[in-house]
Amino acid sequence: MSGRLLAQKFVVISLGIALLATSGASFYKSRRLKEPVVLGPGVTTVRPLSTWFAPLRGTANDCNVYFLDGRTPGATMLVLGGSHPEEPAGRLVTWILAENAIVQKGRLIVVLSTNRSATTVTRLGGAYPPDFSIPTDFGSRTFRMGDRFTNPLDQWPDPEVYFHYPSGQQLAYVDIRNVNRVWPGRANGTLTEQTAYALMEMIKREKVDIELDLHEAELQYPVISTIVTHQRGQDMATLVSMTLTDSEFKIGTEFSPRTLHGLSHREIGDFSPAVSLLAETPEPFLDATRGITSREQLLTGRDEFVVKAGQHGLLFEKIDEKGWPIAVRVGRHTSTLLQIAETWGEDHPDKLLVISGVPRYKEVIANGVGHYLHDPAKAAGRVVYE
Amino acid sequence: MSVVTLLYYALVAFISALLVVNLLKSRKWERDVLYVLVLLPFLLRLLRLK
Amino acid sequence: MNMFASAGIVLATMVAVYVLIRVIRLSTELAMFGAAVGGALVAGFGFPSRHIAEGAATYLDINLIFVTATLFMNLLKESGGVAFVVRSILRRFHHNRALLLVLLTVLLLVPGALTGAGSVTVLVTGALVAVVLNAMGIPKHRAAALIFINAGLSAAAPPVSLWAMMTAAGVNMPYVGFFWPLMLPCLAGGLFTSFYLGWKGENANVMKALEELPVPPAGMSWWRVLLPFVVFGGFVFMGRQWPFSTPIVGLPLMFAAAAVISFLVSPVRLQVFRIARETVDQLLPLLATLTCAGILVEVMTLTGARGLLSLAVVTLPIWVVYASLFLVLPASEAVLMWGAAPVIGVPLVLLFNNRGLDPIIALAGMSIIWPLGDALPPTAIIGRLTVDVVGHKGTYGQFLRACLVPALFIIVVGTLMVVYSKKLGFLTGL
Repeated sequence: MSGRLLAQKFVVISLGIALLATSGASFYKSRRLKEPVVLGPGVTTVRPLSTWFAPLRGTANDCNVYFLDGRTPGATMLVLGGSHPEEPAGRLVTWILAENAIVQKGRLIVVLSTNRSATTVTRLGGAYPPDFSIPTDFGSRTFRMGDRFTNPLDQWPDPEVYFHYPSGQQLAYVDIRNVNRVWPGRANGTLTEQTAYALMEMIKREKVDIELDLHEAELQYPVISTIVTHQRGQDMATLVSMTLTDSEFKIGTEFSPRTLHGLSHREIGDFSPAVSLLAETPEPFLDATRGITSREQLLTGRDEFVVKAGQHGLLFEKIDEKGWPIAVRVGRHTSTLLQIAETWGEDHPDKLLVISGVPRYKEVIANGVGHYLHDPAKAAGRVVYE
Repeated sequence: MSVVTLLYYALVAFISALLVVNLLKSRKWERDVLYVLVLLPFLLRLLRLK
Repeated sequence: MNMFASAGIVLATMVAVYVLIRVIRLSTELAMFGAAVGGALVAGFGFPSRHIAEGAATYLDINLIFVTATLFMNLLKESGGVAFVVRSILRRFHHNRALLLVLLTVLLLVPGALTGAGSVTVLVTGALVAVVLNAMGIPKHRAAALIFINAGLSAAAPPVSLWAMMTAAGVNMPYVGFFWPLMLPCLAGGLFTSFYLGWKGENANVMKALEELPVPPAGMSWWRVLLPFVVFGGFVFMGRQWPFSTPIVGLPLMFAAAAVISFLVSPVRLQVFRIARETVDQLLPLLATLTCAGILVEVMTLTGARGLLSLAVVTLPIWVVYASLFLVLPASEAVLMWGAAPVIGVPLVLLFNNRGLDPIIALAGMSIIWPLGDALPPTAIIGRLTVDVVGHKGTYGQFLRACLVPALFIIVVGTLMVVYSKKLGFLTGL
């Protein structure tokens, strides 16, 4: 090999190694970023998901399950955050619950990282930031950005086509890593299917009455600003959306299609006694016409391009220069959740669910999301990590 | 890790080795750059970074 | 500065860098990479190594399919299997020109359909089919056009159609229901092309062709050729028939298994490592295209350039879009190759979806038009490759003119599929 060729190889390979090292370090760091949770006064126990399905032990998806037991018995509600971690409002709501909620009657079970593996990776081609920070009263708290799909480092390969269990419905091959396409899960399936299976086991054994899965959607997607409900929750969801639309913000109701399988609002209701619901808020960050992909856009929801798309009638939700700030999105979810608990109580006076300490829509907007996140440094012995 | 997944890592290792050998043998800088770029995701997967 | 101006500057920079790199005669892959780096620098992101690596990883699984499928095809070729099939077809069917054309079309469609790459068709079966076409009295520029158009259609044909797969992934749409919407126009287009370009000519000179074709090694037989396909088909069948009791194998490992089988049953000893090394060498431009397209798309998404382009597309009047598909799709393919799918395909499908069209049929229609761009400058990789493989000594323009009528046929079929996608929705079987 000539001296020139050697020098050429040396330069190119060195640059390659530098690229590998710097990008690799970034991926390594964001996959292992620790997210503290300051256990609020209402949290009675935290158990790993593998409690209900042992094969999950030691996997990326053996997430924490937070129990907030009421002083007196009543209904049990399960709130799922992080089914799609790239939709951060849902996860932040579950953080607020774990750090603030107090249950007077009944019981609240909260999952902050339903697909924990998906919180450790960002979307290929999506240019997502590795993480984002929420300003708080004491500084800030940083969260992993996450994706919609299980990290391929935890589940690989994908099949040629994905058949949903048990319906046999054909879905896109990548959706085998989408926890909201694999319900009710499969004991001997993939990690994602096992995760849903473990959650189903918990739902059945812990006798969950109401399940709420928190999501966000791009404005170009028709299922937005709405509660999607299983047929057994239709009356309740309709009443919740009417009440919220009257008093706080406009929200719709949609009925879970009976033939669309794998989604939590369909399968949890079909395979357990729980009433299954799913709430969607708008997240312009997910829109294909979005402008610069940044932490700022993620948290402010401001985007001139998406506004323009709206002016051409291409969107299913309004947007203006104020965007969709994270506080608005989180507030919509907290109010929806609290309203569901209240409306349930009106129908089940013998099995109430009474929650306090959780801010509603206007309070979240007034005080900011960070106001409800507490300082881990001042909570020795009461901190766990996601 | 399942057997199939292990086979995939073996496959990635095999292709990475082929890419490295070709990179070392190529004479044009343009191809060198392309080999390095193509190799990058293979190595990131092999090292379980991405 | 508002978002439109800043994204506009980024996009303009990307175009300028791309053009500059092409002007100094470097490859399209490097031009895409350079455009991405230039765009990121101008947008103030510096050299975003995380995003470059993430973009590069976008099509890792597809690159794995590429390598394993092409290795399988190359092993089959080196073992004499392909020559065996071509000779058998010629010997058996040389009296029947129509049947011969049908079989040659199928032979051209298979490698690309399995691998997703037209170049694999050209390299694996193209040269051998060219010998037969020559023996059938078809001039070389027409033979090259026949092979090129069929190779393009083979790439669009199922099961692996990268334009459809990449666009579908970009809009969160399942790659499901594409089989017939892709298969039917590819078959129709392929047969039209073969008959249009191959019908005229003298009867096959079997002896001459058989002399020119490589002789397969003794012991090569149909079962040795077919067994690897049976294994591949078996994996696909089992995964579909018993999805809940079969482990997930994935396409790359299925192709790898087929490659192993074709190695084991080859009547001659194959130098696997050499063939594998040559396969990777042969595939470098394609692997690099996918890698660099991923990087470009990631940086475009990061900087807002993709949003601007998407917005420009989705706000166009629909009739303008219909009327310009014939130009936009091949042109974008010529510039970005498969990168055209996420950059142009995604906003188009969003637009069609929004206007109530059937996105699967529309995308299938677009997918058959895209490969026509592979004959056009600045890249023209597959066009030039075909001309070389066939040994056409005339001008490139002669070859392009021969492609014209079949290309028009495909454009018309593809555009009609988009316009009438709603009515053709039944083809998806969904």
